[in-house]
Amino acid sequence: MSARKHKLINRPEDILGEMLEGFCAAYGDVARLTDNGLVVRAQPKAAGKVGLVIGNGSGHEPAMIGWIGEGLFDVNIAGEIFTAPGPERIVDGIRAADCGGGVLVCVSHHAGDLLNAELALELCEAEGITDVEMVVLYDDISSAPKGRESERRGTAGLFFVWKMLGAFCEGDGDLAAAKALAEKVRDNTRSLAMSLSSCASPITGEVMFEMPEDEMEIGMGLHGEMGMGRQKALGADATIDLMLPPILEDLPFAAGDEVLVLLNNSGSMTLMELFILYRRAAEALAEAGIRVYGSWIGPYATTQEMAGFALSLCRVDVEMKALWDAPANGAYMKQA
Amino acid sequence: MSHIGSAEVAELIAAVARRVGEGRERLNRLDAKLGDGDHGTSISAAFALAVEQIAVLDQPEPAEIWLATAKALMNGMGGASGALFGTLFLKGVAPARGKGALTKLDVEAMWRAGLDGVKARGKAGVGDKTMVDALQPAVDAFAASDDFSGAWPAAAEAARAGAEASAAMIARQGRAKFLGERSIGHQDAGATTIALMFEAVQMWWETRE
Repeated sequence: MSARKHKLINRPEDILGEMLEGFCAAYGDVARLTDNGLVVRAQPKAAGKVGLVIGNGSGHEPAMIGWIGEGLFDVNIAGEIFTAPGPERIVDGIRAADCGGGVLVCVSHHAGDLLNAELALELCEAEGITDVEMVVLYDDISSAPKGRESERRGTAGLFFVWKMLGAFCEGDGDLAAAKALAEKVRDNTRSLAMSLSSCASPITGEVMFEMPEDEMEIGMGLHGEMGMGRQKALGADATIDLMLPPILEDLPFAAGDEVLVLLNNSGSMTLMELFILYRRAAEALAEAGIRVYGSWIGPYATTQEMAGFALSLCRVDVEMKALWDAPANGAYMKQA
Repeated sequence: MSHIGSAEVAELIAAVARRVGEGRERLNRLDAKLGDGDHGTSISAAFALAVEQIAVLDQPEPAEIWLATAKALMNGMGGASGALFGTLFLKGVAPARGKGALTKLDVEAMWRAGLDGVKARGKAGVGDKTMVDALQPAVDAFAASDDFSGAWPAAAEAARAGAEASAAMIARQGRAKFLGERSIGHQDAGATTIALMFEAVQMWWETRE
């Protein structure tokens, strides 16, 4: 497996705009592209509710444009490929997400996302925009050791935060409660990713990192950041047996817990492989006495054509299960 | 020359934009070792945007030119680099406010404020393999000279040496930190950009004198 240097695009500088135009043309019932390049809900939520906004680098589709819609996020500020949007665009997003109940700016923890959100909040303060809070989210256990959770990266497991937080903000909870809920889901979520191949930057056409044919990297970040190290590629069951125990130990997840499971496709894994991987994960969770409340298998946060997956677990309680089960209508997250 | 006015400050930014533009592919190649390989493309585009936005300012003071540069870098580039290079110029605006011409001490205060801002926002110090490894020595060397004619070459030399020294370091900030020891041997792209910036200013200064 190798990186695919030739992508069916037009000009590299037009990728972002053309992708967003195509997305909104396809899913106009759910999301709309504003004149200033924001992806917003086609049907705004009712006045007085907390608005949810997130800025992120592009190249990870369907995250996060696919998560704009009822029961999910209000506004996505899509940056250039793998590049967080700048502070003025984030402020535009905050303005667009404001429906009178305050705005929660969500940050999937990476240096660029955090620094630009901080700058945006300083701009808001200077411009007298109040009732804005920021929440920093992370889940990747390979990016910093236990005890230093706040240094970890935000990766695929934030899926659970987006879904539950989106459902929560359809209700009457206030901004502080929304932030607390986001932190609660974050603090019950752990992820670990692996990769078998690299990918090419759609901007430069260059391979983002070298990956030998017969090796795999455990702990790969969403942009090909290095993780725990390389080793010989294993089979499906052995790979799960390598990845699941550190996830379980980290929280820790214990017998009697109920969890949601995400097997996120990083790009070019086949569903066939993911089902085989899930089979062993479900078996191992059952052996550990952990009950699976729900599962999701598929591409959510991708890294171009990278072949790999992330395994994410979220421990749920009654409140979180209700939020998980609540309706959602985004282009890539639909639930009746 | 003991002062630089708006015309010179605009020329300085234009010189930086040209030099960074010439270094685009080299910066991309360096970034590919530690980042996602587009630092040269994004920062050269952002400096080009700064030059465009400065050109439409109506009789700007030096501080407004610095602010336009900060905004172009932050908003034109995005990412951690946009925030940090933007902060370098944004924090330099206050020391220049209200001044039609800048002395060497004014410019020193602008760089110092920018450096402090970058360190605070990025939580990086010397030795972390970031732009600070070129910027800190450049600002210190600039401050140690009495006039522009001594300060610019000294800053350029210090920035170049600092950027080269970054190759031997282990990255402790940004996405490169996840490489750990695998980051050794590669020069930091952000530090290299700082070195190119000061080299450009020195070359521009030589043509002025």
